[in-house]
Amino acid sequence: MAIRVVLVPCSGVLRLIDQSEPSFIKMPIAGILSWIVPGLGHIYLGHRRRGLILLVMITATFWSGVAIGSVQGTVDPTERKLWFFAQIGTGVNAISAVILNRITTREDRANNRKPVVTNWVAAEVGVHYTGVAGLLNILVIFDAVSRADPSRLRRSRASPSGGFS
Amino acid sequence: MSPVLAGLFTTAIQLSSQQRLIMMLPLCLSIAVVYKTTRCERLRDVPIAAGILWVTILLGMAAVGVGLWSLFSFFVQRV
Repeated sequence: MAIRVVLVPCSGVLRLIDQSEPSFIKMPIAGILSWIVPGLGHIYLGHRRRGLILLVMITATFWSGVAIGSVQGTVDPTERKLWFFAQIGTGVNAISAVILNRITTREDRANNRKPVVTNWVAAEVGVHYTGVAGLLNILVIFDAVSRADPSRLRRSRASPSGGFS
Repeated sequence: MSPVLAGLFTTAIQLSSQQRLIMMLPLCLSIAVVYKTTRCERLRDVPIAAGILWVTILLGMAAVGVGLWSLFSFFVQRV
C-alpha cells in the first residue's frame, strides 16, 4: 500500500492519502457505495466520521418520513412516481420501504382489509422528508465522487466553513 | 419483523395543518447538517455552520411566506 502525506493548503491539515488504487476506480466505487448506503462512499475513502454523520442524518430523515406518513402513504412507485425518483436516491432505504409497502398491501388483501386511509397532511410531510433525503444523498454521492479525485486537494477553498457556495 | 416495529412504519401519525409547519424545523436541520458536512473541510466547523444555515433557511422561508401572504392580501383587497 503506497501512502503519501499531503498538506491541504487552506486548512493546514496533514492528510494521509492511500494511493494503492487509481482514482478512476475509486470514483465510481465511492459513488455506487454512497448510493447503496448513504455515507458508505465517504467511509470507503477514509472519511469515517463524515460518512457516519451523513449515514445517520440521511437514514434518520428518510425513516422519520416513513414513520410520519406510513409506508403506504409515502413510498409508492405507482401513485407518486416523481417523488419516487427523488426517494430512490437513498438506495437500500427506498428499496426496503418499497418491499415493506408491498408486504403490507399483500397482507391487507389477504385479510380482506381496506387500504389504510392515511392522514393527507402526514402523508405529504412524510413524502417531503423521504424525497428530500433522496435528493440530499445525490449531493452526498457527488461529494464522495469528488473526494475520490486527488486533483481536488490542489484546489483551495475560500473559507473553511464552505460559505454558501 | 416485529409487529411493533412494523406498526411504526405502517401507521401514519395524526398531524394538523399547524403541526405541519413545526415538522419543517427538523427537516431544515437535516438539510443544513448534511450540506455543511459535505462542504466543511474540518468537521469541528459543522455544528456552528449548520446552525447558522438552519436559522438562515428558516428566516428566508418565513420572509418568502410573509412576502407572498402580503402580495395575496394586497390583491384580494384590490379585487
